[in-house]
Amino acid sequence: MTHNGISRYSMEIATALLTGGIGLAICYGAWQVGTGWTPSGPDSGYFPFWIGVLIVAGSVVNLLRTIVGHRHKDEIFLDAARLKSLARFVLPILGFAVVSLLLGLYVGTTLYVLFAMRLQGHYAWWRSLASGVAISVCFYLLFELVFQVPLLKGPLEHAFGIY
Amino acid sequence: MYKRTPLSAHQLKPLALFFAALTVSGSALAWQPERPVEFVVTSGAGGGTDTFARTVQSIIGKHKLMDESIIVSNKGGGSGAEGYVYSASSKDDPYKLTFGTNNEYLLPEVGEMPYAAEDLQPVAAMAMDEFLIWVNGDADYASAKDFIDAAKQNPGKMQFAGSQSKDTDQTLVSMIEEATGADFRYVPFNGGSQALVQLAGGHVDANVNNPNENLGQWQAGMVKPLCVFSPEQLPKGEPVYEDKGWGDIPTCISQGIDISEYRMPRTVWLPADAPQEAVTYYQELLRKVSETPEWKDYTTRTVQTSQFLTGDELEQYIDDNAETVRKVFEQEGWNAS
Amino acid sequence: MNNLSLLMDGFATILTWNHLLIMVIGVMLGMLVGVLPGLGAPNGVSLLLPLTFTMDPVSAIILLSCMYWGALFGGSTTSILFNIPGEPSSVATTFDGYPMARNGEATRALTLAFMSAGLGALAGVVMITLLASSVAQFGLRFSSPEYFAVYFLAFCSFIGMSSSAPSKTLVSMMLGLAFATVGMDSVSGGLRLTFGIPDLVKGISFLVAVMGLFGIAELMVTTEEGLSFNGIKSRIRVRDILRTMAELPRYWASLIRSILIGIWMGITPAGPTAASFMSHGIAKRFSRHPERFGKGEPNGIVSPEAADHSAGTSALLPMLALGVPGSATAAVMMGGLMIWGLTPGPMLFITRPDFVWGLVASMYLGNVVAVILVLSTVPLYASILRVPFAIIGPVIVAVIFTGVYQVANSTFDFWLLLFFALLGYLFKKLDYPVAPLVLTMVLGHRAEEAFRQSMVMSDGSLTVFWSNSLVTTIMGLGVLMLVWPLFSRMLGLRGWRRRLHRQQPQASKPATPDSRP
Repeated sequence: MTHNGISRYSMEIATALLTGGIGLAICYGAWQVGTGWTPSGPDSGYFPFWIGVLIVAGSVVNLLRTIVGHRHKDEIFLDAARLKSLARFVLPILGFAVVSLLLGLYVGTTLYVLFAMRLQGHYAWWRSLASGVAISVCFYLLFELVFQVPLLKGPLEHAFGIY
Repeated sequence: MYKRTPLSAHQLKPLALFFAALTVSGSALAWQPERPVEFVVTSGAGGGTDTFARTVQSIIGKHKLMDESIIVSNKGGGSGAEGYVYSASSKDDPYKLTFGTNNEYLLPEVGEMPYAAEDLQPVAAMAMDEFLIWVNGDADYASAKDFIDAAKQNPGKMQFAGSQSKDTDQTLVSMIEEATGADFRYVPFNGGSQALVQLAGGHVDANVNNPNENLGQWQAGMVKPLCVFSPEQLPKGEPVYEDKGWGDIPTCISQGIDISEYRMPRTVWLPADAPQEAVTYYQELLRKVSETPEWKDYTTRTVQTSQFLTGDELEQYIDDNAETVRKVFEQEGWNAS
Repeated sequence: MNNLSLLMDGFATILTWNHLLIMVIGVMLGMLVGVLPGLGAPNGVSLLLPLTFTMDPVSAIILLSCMYWGALFGGSTTSILFNIPGEPSSVATTFDGYPMARNGEATRALTLAFMSAGLGALAGVVMITLLASSVAQFGLRFSSPEYFAVYFLAFCSFIGMSSSAPSKTLVSMMLGLAFATVGMDSVSGGLRLTFGIPDLVKGISFLVAVMGLFGIAELMVTTEEGLSFNGIKSRIRVRDILRTMAELPRYWASLIRSILIGIWMGITPAGPTAASFMSHGIAKRFSRHPERFGKGEPNGIVSPEAADHSAGTSALLPMLALGVPGSATAAVMMGGLMIWGLTPGPMLFITRPDFVWGLVASMYLGNVVAVILVLSTVPLYASILRVPFAIIGPVIVAVIFTGVYQVANSTFDFWLLLFFALLGYLFKKLDYPVAPLVLTMVLGHRAEEAFRQSMVMSDGSLTVFWSNSLVTTIMGLGVLMLVWPLFSRMLGLRGWRRRLHRQQPQASKPATPDSRP
């Protein structure tokens, strides 16, 4: 990170490494199930293996284009102000995922909407909370009662005898 | 229009508990579901297992055999493995009633699966689905004997279409090869309906679909059955096509294919550690289902044999069935380990 | 025309207040299901199945089929408004629908989509009425090599010249293929690429990927831009709807071409998703202004929508005429037929003509009802965009999470969603194209399966792909599509000029999703 944000140069490299890593993992997974060409056509891992190889190759080209070509050196990927507003959006989502795992989607939704509205829109606590609860209740009516599809529930719902 | 009223159920609960306390009888202690039961279906919507589960659901609803409501969830990914993994991972949950076939214990035999056959306990088998040899409606073969002879003339050229790889279909084709000395090529398509289209379009020579999968097309003369893998002929019924009905199909053993019986059980499972009382409850429930006229109607229409198995009988059946199939797997080298 | 008199009987059967009410309920429930990203048409229809157990078959099939129409329409709504495809088949609608809505023309985008979708569906039904049996027989000629050829054609017509670096397009395309291969391999019967994770046995759901790549990633970019949807302050007037309807005849060429593509893909059955991608790709390829695609080009909305719906409707033909499902939703309906005591198959036309022609008649009426209903909701939906982003953003995220959970009741999918959101965000910001990834993820696995089945059938010989006139023709068309850009460039300088235009100030609108392949 430089003084005015993350450079696009480093993000290009990071993304190329990420996709290359996925490619390697796919080659390895394919190699485990066999990558040959049998008398009755390609093996289970034949296509995935070469797909993996192409991903790695493409990623290497992307990496070299960036490093050797000195591309995007001076471009800014994300400056500090944008990073802040992005973090305000993404962090509640991460929290949402974790809380939902522990306490179920209803509690997760309520808390998430509450904090997201607070952090992003600076709404009053009571308005944010009311919205969160309202949305959870809507979900419950819609999914559990109308469509009869169960959402993930946690200890709180179980305490109320809702499964 | 939605009949589920959970509020009233909750209001009734204290009342029920009160009466239970008054009459401390044996039946009050028996296990009863207290919340919606999930029917885990190990096939996609519209598949044979799906119709099986939804028929049970509709019968339970119609005769009000259970107070709690039923939620059907389709988990057909990975040839049904998705559903089994899902219920196996909920160790002792008696609210996950899983509907399947013999693939529950066959899938872990042929592939590394993230569950073991023992992770689920069998509750009941409710019906047996038959297998037949089908050929295109315009094919020259008058009998299964002709068909096998033709196959022997062209070793490795005649093609069987089937649902999946190393499944009940391919197992049966291997058994036919073993029994007759013919040599077929097996092409796995995705599901019985695909195997049917390929046969009706004349792209393959035969398939071993269940009666219900090909009934509509037999009616139209697009495909025709040669023989059935059961010890005796199917019960007489209405003629299906050109005054021939299910009862007129010869058994395969009478046609010189030495496989007297090959069937697929329609089974119901619970997680292995679910309480025994729950198992008993569901056994009773399913027994009641199997005694309704609607169930009889379903088995007749889909040409399955209604056969209700539980307990030791079922264990015995599963052991025998797994043993037969395991032999084929070993012969073909399909075993996972 | 015997069929026409039978159809009139069908109308006589269904024209009761009771049935019309069922239609309206079905369409409305379907729209709801289509708007909610996790449910989707096949799920929605199977959720309604228990309700139909006590109905007579004609009412039951009207309810289910109308729900299907509603879901198809609903899926386009979220594509256009929030860049979240409610159905896989409406992914291609996001490419131009969402940019148009962002430019402040949400009403126009929605109206265009609904009208062309309705026309597509009606064309499909007309085809079913007139040509039912002969067309169905054509479907029987398709075996694995032909399926592979169709997928190949769909690929070729969509993948082409792109403004992104070729290596980035390659990575995106291959990642899609790789994600699609995870899980059970139906040809060998074994698992692959699951790395011992039980939650990967079922494979990576396309819906989860799309909700991350499009939905959440889009929201992330929007947040960065300053927490608002651009240019949505437009007024909503009924006149706009009428004006857009009057505009529709201008796109007749796209409409007819897309309807033909849709009908063909519905019967064969490669399905609505492939049809909509292909139609969008071809519309762009043969357009005089391909540079306008991806920025809110009306033809880019009309084409995928008309193809999607004509394919969705035609997919019911194999079910009626042959007794084989042409799509996932048709499979559920066929399951329903069995439970109601009917045997799906060719004889249904003879044994239960009231049912078959009642259904066909209800397709005409149901689609008209659906178009009227969805058009009347346009102002409502368009006004959603006026809700402040700080409220609507979290609500969309919450809806996406519940949707992801409903796909397979698996919490592992939350992490997959976040992974795809990150990937989509990076791709968008770094000029990787996302569309190839989505396309290959839908078609890649089925193409591989068809390829390997063909290999089993042909003893591993590749000649099977030009072994008969049908498969040769389709493969040839595919190759033609692939080389078309080169070809047209050789013919004149038009292509060069176009490319020069494209180099010009493109960075003016960084938040516009780069959906060009």
